[in-house]
Amino acid sequence: MRKALFWLAVGLMVFVFVFPVLWIYVTALKAPDDIFSDNPFIFTPTLENFDYLINVRPAFGELLNSMIMSVCSTIIVMLISLPAAYSFARFNTGNGHILFITISTRMFPGVVAAIPFFLLFRTLGLLDTHLGLVLLYTYFNMSFATFLLYGFFREIPESLEHAAMLDGYDRITILRRIVFPLIKPGVAITTMFCLIWSWNEFLFAFLFTRRVARTVSVGQSTFWGSVEIQWGPMAALMCIAVLPTLIAAWIMQRHVVRGLTFGAVKG
Amino acid sequence: MSAAPRPRLYENDRVMKWLLIGPLVFFLLAFMVYPTLYSLYMSFTDYVMKGAPGFVGLDNYRWVLSDEAFWAALGRTIYVLFWCIAIELVLGMALALLLNREFPGQGIVRGLCFIPLLVSPLSMSLMWNYILHIQFGVVNTVLGWLGLSAVPFLSTPSLALNTIIFITVWQWLPFSIFVLLAGLKGMPRDQFEAAQIDGASPIRVFFRLTLPLLKPLIIIIILLRVMWLMRLFDPLYGTTRGGLNTELLDWMIYRVSFVFFDIGQGAAYALFALYLTLIVGALLFKQLIKAMDGR
Repeated sequence: MRKALFWLAVGLMVFVFVFPVLWIYVTALKAPDDIFSDNPFIFTPTLENFDYLINVRPAFGELLNSMIMSVCSTIIVMLISLPAAYSFARFNTGNGHILFITISTRMFPGVVAAIPFFLLFRTLGLLDTHLGLVLLYTYFNMSFATFLLYGFFREIPESLEHAAMLDGYDRITILRRIVFPLIKPGVAITTMFCLIWSWNEFLFAFLFTRRVARTVSVGQSTFWGSVEIQWGPMAALMCIAVLPTLIAAWIMQRHVVRGLTFGAVKG
Repeated sequence: MSAAPRPRLYENDRVMKWLLIGPLVFFLLAFMVYPTLYSLYMSFTDYVMKGAPGFVGLDNYRWVLSDEAFWAALGRTIYVLFWCIAIELVLGMALALLLNREFPGQGIVRGLCFIPLLVSPLSMSLMWNYILHIQFGVVNTVLGWLGLSAVPFLSTPSLALNTIIFITVWQWLPFSIFVLLAGLKGMPRDQFEAAQIDGASPIRVFFRLTLPLLKPLIIIIILLRVMWLMRLFDPLYGTTRGGLNTELLDWMIYRVSFVFFDIGQGAAYALFALYLTLIVGALLFKQLIKAMDGR
């Protein structure tokens, strides 16, 4: 009896979590008439919507843009955040004040930053460019990446490094041979988060891109026209856009638990 | 060598530590200090995207204080903040306790539960909009089959904001579950065994032992969720677009600045929202550092 209740609860939870994502895939396979039909469960699957995304309103460029921007911004974020997080964790640089300021950038309502950047980018000609959005995503992910990595660095005992130093290794060797292998899972999780958040980001992309640098999030919103919403093609683009994150969810769930506790709990 | 041999590069640590956070500090200055100061300047002007900004003193701020729409948006933001975090913590705790055991297929179940956290918030809100649609949404279709009348989830002012809370909770509940689950898994076993031997009831153990041990994590969840919820935008764009009494702070700033192009006024709203979050954030952050070091 207890077992049945347990599985009922787990089953219900999984159903609620998964159903909307599943429904994206179902909707993407429906012909326009089936989308508004009385019985949403019975329909003949068709690839019409995907054909629309290839031939009528190509979405390839948007996917490519999103990919370029996620990857570029994530690389820059890691180059900035890794050394900074190490510095915070080892030397308590700035006595926590700079760390707090870093984290607080995540508190900024997105639009607070958007107003000055919009005006600045307009002057510099960065509106609707890849570079502009890469810079914004760097800013957007930098703080959280630093915070996550800070937690991971805190988990590495300082004594390990001291011991290596006494053995005569220099800093660079220690970082390469001792610290980096230990921080690798943390780097992997942080990278994954940065990639996904840039990939999913909407507000900045929506405000700062029009045509050239339009990302896949903004692409989805274009199907909401002034007259009607084209659910079919929208769902088709969604299911392509959601796919990498589904794969990431699968890879990450094993390791993410430790990462999300920011070193507050030894996992 | 007379003194204890100090590690070689340690003498340069003072330089090194600042060198390491150099790029971060540069980016912070460029991407945080500059925009904040610029917004501050803009908030004293009547700039409307073209022409030259004219200085208007405190007019924008005076307008913020007297603007009912602003206070309504602020009230709604706090409402969303409170209910989202409350539901996510309570339900997240319950589900973390549920999952905190070994069972066949646990990897698959966890993997599936992780999905909402990573899929795009915009996509999901658009999808929920379709699923909960009054006419052809699957939920209302099924309700109809059960002989119930259709529920206007996203088409009536009394329900729309709560539906947005539901969508947000759906998306972020796994975050609470996974963080709390990590906490439960990392608990020291001996204390629980001792409590069991003493014959303490499970409820007592939970409130006296489990909950205090999870405190740092609960504060982390609250801190991060406050930060993320203050900037809730995507679920509004995907559903009501600020209509039907669902306008939140971020949306209002967006509307004033980028739809009405009233940059000066928008900046005043934005700074108001910013101060508010900074104060709340600083308080929570202090608690967090205390809880993390107090282990």
